[in-house]
Amino acid sequence: APGSSRVFVVRRDQDIYIQTLRKLFNESHGIFMGLQRSEEELAGKSRKAQLVQVSKNYRSVIRACMEDMHQAAVSTRDPALQGQYSTQVSILSAMELIWNLCEILFVEAAAAGPLLLRLLDWVRLHVCDVDSMVREVLSSENPSKHKLFWNVVDVFVLQGRMDEARHLLSKEATANPTSMNMYKILDDLMKKMPMPTLGNTQTLTELELKWQHWHEECQRFLQDGTFASNPHMESICKILLGDEDAILEKRELMTTWYHFLVTRLLYSHPTVKPMELRFYAQSSMDMFLGGESSPEPLDMILMAAFEFEMHQVIKECSIVLSNWWFVAHLTDLLDHCKLLQSHNLYFGSNMREFLLLEYASGLFSHHSLWQLGVDYFDHCPEYGRVYLELHIERIPLSTEQKALKVLRICEQRQMHEQVRSICKIMAMKALRNNRLGSALSWSIRAKDAAFATLISDRFLKDYCERGCFSDLDLIDNLGPSMLLSDRLTFLGKYREFHRLYGEKRFPEAARLLLTLMTAHIAPCSFWMTLLTDALPLLEQKEIIFSAEQTYELMRCLEDLTAGNVDKQKLQEDDVETTKVEMLRLALARNLARVIVKEGTVEGS
Amino acid sequence: QVSVINTVDTSHEDMIHDAQMDYYGTRLATCSSDRSVKIFDVRNGGQILIADLRGHEGPVWQVAWAHPMYGNILASCSYDRKVIIWKEENGTWEKTYEYTGHDSSVNSVCWAPHDYGLILACGSSDGAISLLSYTGDGQWEVKKISNAHTIGCNAVSWAPAVVPGSLIEQPSGQKPNYVKRFASGGCDNLVKIWKEEDSQWKEEQKLEAHSDWVRDVAWAPSIGLPTSTIASCSQDGRVFIWTCDDASGNSWSPKLLHKFNDVVWHVSWSITANILAVSGGDNKVTLWKESVDGLWACISDVNKGQGGVSAVTEGQQNEQ
Repeated sequence: APGSSRVFVVRRDQDIYIQTLRKLFNESHGIFMGLQRSEEELAGKSRKAQLVQVSKNYRSVIRACMEDMHQAAVSTRDPALQGQYSTQVSILSAMELIWNLCEILFVEAAAAGPLLLRLLDWVRLHVCDVDSMVREVLSSENPSKHKLFWNVVDVFVLQGRMDEARHLLSKEATANPTSMNMYKILDDLMKKMPMPTLGNTQTLTELELKWQHWHEECQRFLQDGTFASNPHMESICKILLGDEDAILEKRELMTTWYHFLVTRLLYSHPTVKPMELRFYAQSSMDMFLGGESSPEPLDMILMAAFEFEMHQVIKECSIVLSNWWFVAHLTDLLDHCKLLQSHNLYFGSNMREFLLLEYASGLFSHHSLWQLGVDYFDHCPEYGRVYLELHIERIPLSTEQKALKVLRICEQRQMHEQVRSICKIMAMKALRNNRLGSALSWSIRAKDAAFATLISDRFLKDYCERGCFSDLDLIDNLGPSMLLSDRLTFLGKYREFHRLYGEKRFPEAARLLLTLMTAHIAPCSFWMTLLTDALPLLEQKEIIFSAEQTYELMRCLEDLTAGNVDKQKLQEDDVETTKVEMLRLALARNLARVIVKEGTVEGS
Repeated sequence: QVSVINTVDTSHEDMIHDAQMDYYGTRLATCSSDRSVKIFDVRNGGQILIADLRGHEGPVWQVAWAHPMYGNILASCSYDRKVIIWKEENGTWEKTYEYTGHDSSVNSVCWAPHDYGLILACGSSDGAISLLSYTGDGQWEVKKISNAHTIGCNAVSWAPAVVPGSLIEQPSGQKPNYVKRFASGGCDNLVKIWKEEDSQWKEEQKLEAHSDWVRDVAWAPSIGLPTSTIASCSQDGRVFIWTCDDASGNSWSPKLLHKFNDVVWHVSWSITANILAVSGGDNKVTLWKESVDGLWACISDVNKGQGGVSAVTEGQQNEQ
């Protein structure tokens, strides 16, 4: 049975067509270019600070896009679109989550101490499910009476937000004077908790010592049963002691295993070293998921990051994400941090270039984003140029403006083949639309002699039919490009003849006319027209052609008529015969006059 | 990762044998057993019928767009033994040349790289391959390679234009010395490579690996490496990737991409030759990419056709 009569058109990289992502592509392009051009000479700390800033810039672009996407989702009434936008928001959110972690671990390469602080910030920024609950409680009239009060306190504790936790607890203490004692002790413990600092005010060893003391103090209070009568406070104390079960009980408030990981680290290993993260990460994920659910792609990516397996992170992201934007830019940044060993890949010189090539190639199918793609190709040293050459020829040259844009790009990069090709295409297009002037200037630009000849012939044919030239400006200003083809030269010179004639510079015009024939610039087919053009000059009151010139003209005429194989045809064609006769007569008359003139002595 | 963005209802009354995007992905040409060739404007997801070309007297097997610098030109070949070249002039499509030099069905047409001029290769069931070269003023010169493949030739594909020693800058204005080559596939289960020497076409290589008729060959675009790559597919369900490492073109080695369960009709390369599209009787179009370890992996498949998927073309804008 015959197949259906339908043809399917299929495409990859659909994301570039999503309007709201446009900002992402445009702005990240700016950041990318800035990074490529940035000072490589800056060493050590300043370079690192610069790279961290670049990373933050990328992240803020992602967040801005998320905002826009969120707005779009909220304001649309189309449920399908809304679904699409919401999906995009979660994807962008995941991307920012991953990027942020990579920034902490790889770009900034936070050391033990600051590492924990960064991770805490990371968790606070990204685990947002509890935000509305927090707001609700804080804004209520009597927070300590709110049924979710203790949940919020727990959230603060779990996220290491000690000041906020203490503030809330103080409200509870005022409301419940009986627990004042317990409260004071707990508050004190929380106040004294040793935390890593960003400056150089304490070494890790100092911190560890202080922390050990504090830990023991908490332990004593717990064992003494100080908090026994208030289960909430007791559980907080257990959390402070890093009791995994107590922390895990608050699973719903943490929502993710990586929150659990950071909380664990905060309360049991605040001086954790980067390389130790992997062990805690794996066990945290196992404990949190508890065999009930299996890790999702996002979890695997984050895990790979905690394990410092950069390549794995990139690989997993490439598989999961629907376009190359994320991996291309992140990898480029990591490459600038000199973190990627150059695994020489079979097909794309190295990972960075491979991903950039893929990303940029995708941009080329878009009617305006392709311009961004050009810059990306420029920064791919191995294959960027050839990829650009192949892609740029396929951009539809829908308008002259676009063609000029593409041309400029090719000319800037000395892509001569592509320049010629594009000019030829434009010339052909113009010719098809009967825009001879445009066609001619394109073929001159393409240095296409054959085409220039073709078009010149058309011009001349037009002239013969209509008696005038089109596109005079162009022909008058040909300049040296006239020499591109013989026919073009003739066209230019012939037009010059007409100009001279129009300016009544008859002797010059006459000389030029003759040269056109004798120097064989004019094609034989045109001689008759030229000779006919000579007629008015011969008929002038003044004598223009000298004797010698007249003899030349006569010779040309004879050459023309003698060479005419089809004598019969010539004889039959009355117009032609008449013309020839008139010419002979005019030439003879001129000759007579000029002989007399030249033979006369002046003043005699 | 691959999604259908447009469905063009061609209104062909019979099987569609080929569908080709033009250079820019703005137009689509289709041909069918209903003897017609249709051209659609498919910009922005639309489908406007531009032309319905009649002239063939039998099923039309393939269509091929020439490079835009020659104008809007389309070639078609058919069971009726004819090759027709159509041209758009003043907004209308017309037949500009008809070639009837073959004794049986012409199965494949392929335009040479634009650098060589306007040259069309045609493969026929009479075993011969014709090369039509435009010489100007509506005239075409014909060169014929008789008995290129015993029983018949099913596919022709040109090698990209590469000048030997092309790394050296050619002084501008000088015409480079191109070595013209193309590949053909036939009913003798062979893929052959042809080279032009002293204005004569000679068989340069015979590539043997298939156990049944070769249905399509596709020479990959060049990204400047000294290697050459050809994809071939066959009635035997196999797709081979042939690579030649040296510039002289002497040693080709095949790598099996995959063995499919049904005949594979077409193979087509993306612009930068990093993806190969394969279509077959098993109803699917699959996209393949070479991985780090040199093995080819399927990166997606599009399962949309009813009946065998008989044509595949890769363009910059769209794939199908």
